[in-house]
Amino acid sequence: MDLFLLFVSTGLVIGASYGLIAMGFALVYKATGVVNFAHGELVMLTAYVAFSLTQAFDLSFIPLMLVTIPISMLIGLALERIFIRPMLGEPVFSIVMVTIGLAVILRGVTMMIWGPDPHNLTAGVTTRVIMIGHLPFYAAQLMSIAALAICTALAWAFLRFSRIGIAMRAVAAHETAALLVGISVKRIHAIAWALSAALAAVAGVLFAMNFKLAPDLWFQGLKSFPAVILGGLDAILGSAMAGLIIGLIENLSQGYIGQGLRETSGFIVIIVVLMVRPYGLFGDKDIERV
Amino acid sequence: MRTGHFQETTGQLIALTDSPAVIGWTGVLIAGLLAAPLVVGNYELTLMVTVLIAVVGAVGLNLLTGTTGLISLGQAGFLAVGAYGNAVLMVDYGWPVWLSLPAGGVVSALISLLVGIPSLRLKGLYLAITTLAFSFIVSHVILYAEPITHGPNGIFVNGAKILGVNVQKGPALYYLTLFVAVCVVLMVLNMQRTRLGRGWLAIRDHDIAARAMGIDLTRYKLLAFVVSSFIVGIAGGLLSLQIRFINIDVFGLILSIEALAIIILGGMGSVAGAIMGAVFLTLLPEAIRIAFNLILTPGSAFYSTYVYEIRGVAYGAVIVAFLRFKPDGLIGLWRDARKYWSNWPLAY
Repeated sequence: MDLFLLFVSTGLVIGASYGLIAMGFALVYKATGVVNFAHGELVMLTAYVAFSLTQAFDLSFIPLMLVTIPISMLIGLALERIFIRPMLGEPVFSIVMVTIGLAVILRGVTMMIWGPDPHNLTAGVTTRVIMIGHLPFYAAQLMSIAALAICTALAWAFLRFSRIGIAMRAVAAHETAALLVGISVKRIHAIAWALSAALAAVAGVLFAMNFKLAPDLWFQGLKSFPAVILGGLDAILGSAMAGLIIGLIENLSQGYIGQGLRETSGFIVIIVVLMVRPYGLFGDKDIERV
Repeated sequence: MRTGHFQETTGQLIALTDSPAVIGWTGVLIAGLLAAPLVVGNYELTLMVTVLIAVVGAVGLNLLTGTTGLISLGQAGFLAVGAYGNAVLMVDYGWPVWLSLPAGGVVSALISLLVGIPSLRLKGLYLAITTLAFSFIVSHVILYAEPITHGPNGIFVNGAKILGVNVQKGPALYYLTLFVAVCVVLMVLNMQRTRLGRGWLAIRDHDIAARAMGIDLTRYKLLAFVVSSFIVGIAGGLLSLQIRFINIDVFGLILSIEALAIIILGGMGSVAGAIMGAVFLTLLPEAIRIAFNLILTPGSAFYSTYVYEIRGVAYGAVIVAFLRFKPDGLIGLWRDARKYWSNWPLAY
C-alpha cells in the first residue's frame, strides 16, 4: 500500500509539471488554432532565464517568479510577433511547421548560450524532506502541485470573468464573428502567446527545481503531449487535469506492468485517445474527421 | 512567341516528360553520376552517398506528406525500423543484403499499417502528433526488445556483399545507393501518373470531394502509408549500410525534422523538389562547416562543441524562412526562373 501511495504521489508531482506545460499548449491552441511545437523549448528557455537571474541576483522563489514571468511574457510576445504573426492567413500546416522550425532554433540557441552541462536550480527553496503521513515530499514537489492548482484557478477566473479572457473564448469559438464584434484577433493571439509563455516559465522553473536544469528539458514539452491530447487540445483546464492523470498512468504502469512504460505509456495513450475520442476528455467535440 | 505549352491528349498529359531537353539533361546527369567515382575523392563520394540516401528518404516522405497531404513527424521511426530490419536480418540471420534491404522496407511498410489505421480518422495536426508518438514508441520498443534488436548495444553492420563485392564502402556503396535512388525516383514518378497517384493528389486537395468522386479513402491513404514507409525503410537500410553501426540514438527527433525541412525546402509534392531539397539540405552542414572555417580559425572550439546545435538552428532557419518567403520551395524558384526566361521581356 505504501508503495502504491508512493507511486501515486510521485505520479502527481510529475503530472503537475505535465499539466502546467499542457495548459500552455492548450491556451495557444484554443486562441490561435495552432499547436505550438516550440512550447517545450519555451519551457526550457524560460527556466534558463530564471537560472541566469538567480545566478546574477540570488533571488528567492517568489521574487524570482515575479521577475521571470514578465520576461517570459516578453519573449512569448516577441516570438509571436517575429515568427507567427507574419504567417497569419497561411494554412495551419505551414504555421505548425514554423513552430517546429522555431523549436529547433530555440533548442540550439539555448544550448549555445548556456552550454551542455546540467545545473541545479534551487532558488532558495529548502531541500529538506517533508513528511505527509508516510509519504516523503520535497518542498519543490509540493510547490509544483500548488502551482498547478493556482494556475488552474487563475486560468479559470481569467477565462470566466476578465474581458480579455472572454474575448479569447470568443476568438476560439468563431474567429470571424469575434472580429466582427470588434475584438482584435491579432491582439488576442499575442496575449495567448504571452500567457502561454508565462505558464511555460512556471512549469520550467518548477521542473528545473524538482529535477535538473539541462538542455534536454525541451523534451518535457513532447512528454506533455499525452496530457494535451487526453484533456482535449482546446481544453485549458482539462489539460491540467489530464496532466495529473498522465503522471499517474506513467508511474503506475512503470511500477506494476513493466520497465520502459514510463517513457512510452503516455504515447500509447495518445494513440488510443486519438482512435477512440480524438477530442479528448474535455475538449470540444467539433473535430473534423474523414 | 510561344503562347503556352499545350497538351492535347491524355497520353501527353500523363507522360513523364514531353521535353527533349529534359530527357537530354537527365541523361547527362545520370552519365555524370555514373562517372563521378572516377573523378571525385573519397570524402566527396561519401557525401554523395549521404545525399543519395537523403534523396530516397525525401522522395518517400514527399509521397506521404507532399502528394497525399498526410503530415508525418515519425520519419525517424520508419527509418529506424528499416535500418534495424536490414541490420538484424543481415547480421543475425545471415540474409544476403539484396534480400535484407528490401525486407527492411517491407517490415517498415507493415509497421506503417499500425500507424496508418488510427490515422485514417485523423488529419492534419492530429496525424502529426500520432506519427510523433509512433516514433517514440518505436525507439523504446527497439531499446527494450533486446533479444531481437540488441537493445542499447546497437548493431554493427558489416560485410554486406553483392556478387562477392563489399557494398559498404567506396564506389560499390555509391553505385548501390545510386541504383536504389534511381529506381525509387522512377517508381514514384510513375506512380504519380497512375490512377493511384491522381487519387492521392485529390485526397490532398480535398478529401471529401475525393471521396465523392469515388476514391476509397481508406485504401488510398493506407497505400500511401505503405508505399512511403517502404521507401523510407529502404533509405534506413541504406543508412545502416553506410554508417555501419546503428543504435537508437541515430534516429532522434531531429531526423524527422530534417526530413520535413528537406521537402519544405524542395517544395512539397514534387519529386524534383524533394531531390533538390535533399541535395541542398544535406550539403548545408558542409557549407556551414566551410563558412565557419573561413570566418573563425580552423577547427574552432565553438564549432566543434556545438556542431549539432548549429545544424539544428540552420534546419530551423531553413524551415521558417522558406515557409515565410517561398512556400513553393526551390522547385518554385526554379519554375519562376523558367517562366521569367521563356516570357522575357514580358512579365507573364
